[in-house]
Amino acid sequence: MVFCVFLLSLYSSHGQNDTVHFEINFTFNKEDLQLNKYYLLNGTDSVEINTLKFYISAISLLHNGETVWKEANSFHLIDAELNKSTKFDLAVKEGVIYDKFRFNLGIDSLTNVSGAMGNDLDPSKNMYWTWQSGYINFKLEGRSNVCLARKNEFKFHLGGYQFPYNCIQQVEFTLPQPDLIHLQIDLAEIISELRFGELDHIMSPSFSAMELSSSIAKKIRLRIP
Amino acid sequence: MKKSFILLFIYVYLFSSFRILNEKSFIVPTGFPEPAYDFSKNILTTEKIELGRALFYDPILSRDNSISCSSCHSVYNSFAHTDHDLSHGIDDLIGTRNAPALINLAWHKSFMWDGAVNHLEVQALAPITHPKEMDESMNHIVFKLSQSDLYTKLFMNAYNDTSITGEKILKALTQFQLIFVSSSSRYDSMTQKQIKFTYQEENGYNLFKKNCNTCHAEPLFSTYTFANNGLGLDTTLNDFGRMQITKERSDSLKFKIPTLRNIEYSPPYMHDGRFKSLFAVLNHYTSGIHQTTNLAPELKSPIILSENEKVDLIAFLLTLSDKKFIFNPDFSYPRELFAK
Repeated sequence: MVFCVFLLSLYSSHGQNDTVHFEINFTFNKEDLQLNKYYLLNGTDSVEINTLKFYISAISLLHNGETVWKEANSFHLIDAELNKSTKFDLAVKEGVIYDKFRFNLGIDSLTNVSGAMGNDLDPSKNMYWTWQSGYINFKLEGRSNVCLARKNEFKFHLGGYQFPYNCIQQVEFTLPQPDLIHLQIDLAEIISELRFGELDHIMSPSFSAMELSSSIAKKIRLRIP
Repeated sequence: MKKSFILLFIYVYLFSSFRILNEKSFIVPTGFPEPAYDFSKNILTTEKIELGRALFYDPILSRDNSISCSSCHSVYNSFAHTDHDLSHGIDDLIGTRNAPALINLAWHKSFMWDGAVNHLEVQALAPITHPKEMDESMNHIVFKLSQSDLYTKLFMNAYNDTSITGEKILKALTQFQLIFVSSSSRYDSMTQKQIKFTYQEENGYNLFKKNCNTCHAEPLFSTYTFANNGLGLDTTLNDFGRMQITKERSDSLKFKIPTLRNIEYSPPYMHDGRFKSLFAVLNHYTSGIHQTTNLAPELKSPIILSENEKVDLIAFLLTLSDKKFIFNPDFSYPRELFAK
């Protein structure tokens, strides 16, 4: 057994991979986002973001519309508070040619019904609903003077894996150059579309959660160097 | 090549420190269907079950270390909570539902009275984090357990590793609960032809098969689906059951059909514990049905039972009591662990 694992390690150490670097940055009106800092909104109102956490999963690369590489066990919890969570390397098999990058924003339904998971999916990461099973795909919390809720807080916990409230989003980009996938989200773009006076929290699977998830997915941009 | 030798050394070292865990096979009782739980993804071992047992009985899982799973799921009540219509948790706060009995969980397809939870492994998250139950967070539990010598040892025994994670805690708790199998009742002895029912029990069994068996199907005594069994809405709770999860009007007032096994040990009955006795339950089915559009079709025409028939039916229900389950030493408080 030991010998087999040993042989396997020799073999795999000779298998070559191309390292593709993934990174995602957050901005607010094109400046680097700082959590817990007040930003001006529409010139008069203010907004502060306290929590920004979400899942990226099922990363794959495509060439001419065909999937040519899929990341194994592809679940990444991105947390704006933890710089190291916003960048990682993808071990793509050497020689794979690709022109498109695809991923899911959120967690698929099969994973949602498969019991307790580890690593980034561990329920102790506070991205799992407890009163009703299911992952929170996207968590955005903060404060704004426009919010009528207690302490002017807004809380958007977006999730839901079952019809008709499945809110996972597929996102893809055509890559102008390989080896570096650099994404960006400008939070001002997301926040400016929210109407805090009418809706300041989402805590369960719903049509509002689906709408907001879809809108956020469209705000993810490829950063062209 | 030098690198390869270093790797070989590391592998040999790692493997030599591994111990063989004592795998425990899950025995499906005669006549039972295949379990819904996939044991291949969480292979039972004596050590993980022991860890799960410690966690189940330890109030460390609650915010102020006062409430354990067993506070509302007592083995003597078949892991239900007797004498309380609505279960109470931390700071004596009272919840909105009656703690259900924990029996034959490997066959359940969903959990909680409204099916809010889709897998046994994630069920414990609901009471652990509920502000009226244990009011604790998983990451704080991970922290508290990491400070404990007892749990460092128990996690090492169970996982060959002292690191503690939410996943490991939940899977160990699951293993302990999976062994709560009840299949040693008088009814089971009868089906295996070891004993014969009395005339009264036999008569009760026939009445059961005629009136109750569709929803409380043998041998698990539930289909584990959801039904509106004609309980009027308690306006002090406004609990609409399954509808709160699916948001479908057709699921209004539907609750998960509970098993009838060990029913003698787990009063009061129904999701809100509104009936204290089995007689009260039977009286509901014969004369208390609240007619609504989505009432279970089996209850649309009234169930007719004479007073004597009710007595016989209850005599049959008492044959579902499993004393071996209640007094199983493997299920009880792990005194030997906590005494140290």
